[in-house]
Amino acid sequence: MPGQSYYALLGVPRSASVEELRRGYREAALELHPDTNRRPGDTERFLEVQQAYETLIDPDRRAAYDVELAEEEARLASRSSFRCHVLQSRKNLLQLDEPQVHYILFEISPATGLPDVRPPVNLTIVIDRSTSMRGQRLDLVRSAALSIISNLEPGDSASVVAFSDRAEVFVSPDQARDPSVARARLSLLQAGGGTEIAQGIEAGLGELKHNFSRDGVNQMILLTDGRTYGDEDACRALANHAAGMGIAINCVGIGSEWGDNLMDEIAGKTGGNVVFLDSPHAISDLLQGIFDTLTHVVASRVRIEGSVSVAVDVRSVFRLEPEPMPLGDALPFFLGHLPRDGAIRLLVEAVVQPVSDLKELVLGQFTVNGDILGQGSEATGLPLQVSIPVTLDPDPTPPPEDIVSALSFISLYRMQEKARIEAGLGEALQAARRLENLATQLLATGERDLAKAALSEADRLNHTRKLSTEGEKMLKYGTRALLLPAKSSAR
Amino acid sequence: MIECPTCSNQEFVGTLYCGECGTRLVHTSPLKGVVATREAVSQGVFGDAPHPDTAELQSGVLLGLRVLGTDEILPLIGRENYTLGRSGEGQAVIPDIDLSQYSAFESGVSRIHSEIRLTEENVAVVDLDSANGTLVNNARLDPQKATPIHHGDIIQLGQLRLQLISRYH
Repeated sequence: MPGQSYYALLGVPRSASVEELRRGYREAALELHPDTNRRPGDTERFLEVQQAYETLIDPDRRAAYDVELAEEEARLASRSSFRCHVLQSRKNLLQLDEPQVHYILFEISPATGLPDVRPPVNLTIVIDRSTSMRGQRLDLVRSAALSIISNLEPGDSASVVAFSDRAEVFVSPDQARDPSVARARLSLLQAGGGTEIAQGIEAGLGELKHNFSRDGVNQMILLTDGRTYGDEDACRALANHAAGMGIAINCVGIGSEWGDNLMDEIAGKTGGNVVFLDSPHAISDLLQGIFDTLTHVVASRVRIEGSVSVAVDVRSVFRLEPEPMPLGDALPFFLGHLPRDGAIRLLVEAVVQPVSDLKELVLGQFTVNGDILGQGSEATGLPLQVSIPVTLDPDPTPPPEDIVSALSFISLYRMQEKARIEAGLGEALQAARRLENLATQLLATGERDLAKAALSEADRLNHTRKLSTEGEKMLKYGTRALLLPAKSSAR
Repeated sequence: MIECPTCSNQEFVGTLYCGECGTRLVHTSPLKGVVATREAVSQGVFGDAPHPDTAELQSGVLLGLRVLGTDEILPLIGRENYTLGRSGEGQAVIPDIDLSQYSAFESGVSRIHSEIRLTEENVAVVDLDSANGTLVNNARLDPQKATPIHHGDIIQLGQLRLQLISRYH
């Protein structure tokens, strides 16, 4: 029974009443009836719909079909390479003539029995060599890149691209195999020129494509300390392109002058991550950390495909794990790499338009998909239907603790975001008040340093009407890091 | 729509945290009249000067702190934790529950003195390194250590005494 279930054919929930079956059948039949249909294949679909209706309207046949359907789905799910646990903020929606907010938490983990191998790593390090990187910054970045290259295993591939106004492949994958050659090449790397990030990304993607590894993990690390001007759209297009190919981009911003919003967008589109380094000293540990994570990936290009109901608007998508990061709110959601011993957790905030005449709402039909590394092929996707009953009475049970605690930190993150927007619009007083409120709440959660940073930015707003470029990044990445599992479970 | 008890911001039904001020909205209900108004919360009282014996019943407060020596009950609604302290001039961080009007300064209450934490299991109080310490039923607490408290317990900040009113068990 491949394809759609009988219920999906009629567009009704599994719990549909006889009345709902009739209505679903009428609507589907009207659209597909041979007297009126135009598209090829509609007559066949009409016959299927008829068969579906005849089966479901007969209680005995429906019961038999339900058993068969459950078995079939269990079989599909057990064959899938993924497991997914879905939590919703409420057990039921209310019959209301106004919109409602609903939260869905997806927790995706690898199925058992996947190949247990260290995947080959195909990495490109893209380095900003603009004038501002001169001196210590570039020295530290250079030695960090060299230390990664010297520790490659056979089968891995790495390259270094440097860019200013133009991009240049500084260490090719062949040169990277010989550390002494790589060292000599990197020693020629000098700072000078502007920052045109699109150039760097494009050259980096070229290297990655050239060595693209179907059963390995393909990753770009972009290091920058400056802002790009005029090529933002090119950067976004390249990020979309990378996401489609299964290349994740991690961005590392050094100092306070880099464009964090664009970096967030680039990384977010590809399922990557952004790290803020206020001093370049941690760069070596950071790169090593990213590289080690890559060797523990079991699936890459993990994504949720599918569609949501017309009554549902996705308002925001926030990845909570492995690295907290706001992602794009359009399906498919690109989630990045799935760690072997971990999970990807994703919190979706949706606005549900009034649903007064329904008993159950199918929020969306999704498939969890990705590339299983070491298997050299696309994984067997996991089909998911997320639905919720619609009732007259509110659900008295409190929302799941996992959702509440994640949202408590996201709400701090949002306050910081709002203050920044307000400061940008010139509403300095409003922004300052918001940051003071944020400071109070941070203090209450025991985050003294962040609270202090929020207060000092509030002071600054009161005096200069502007945020400091360093403070705004500290608050953004600081509040985002509150979601890290180690931090939230410590409380 | 539901209304945030702290800032009166309107949010869609089902929202868990106020988008304006970050207050947790789990305990608010979409039914009219059940939502705590801003005035009620900022005044810290429900109703007109209730009789001491029945104050907690008349107030309709399920969880709150009674300020001993007054008839007032400060409700604990809408958040998971509350900082207790007093406000001073030019002070940016204001505690969630400001005890200034109850002679907090004279009683030796620090600006950020202690914190009440509500979890599913219990209500706890934590001393936040206050100058004069926090006592529960006359036992001094170690700073930064959460101590569970129950209905009727006396929490003492400096010399100021509060009593926990809880209808949850």
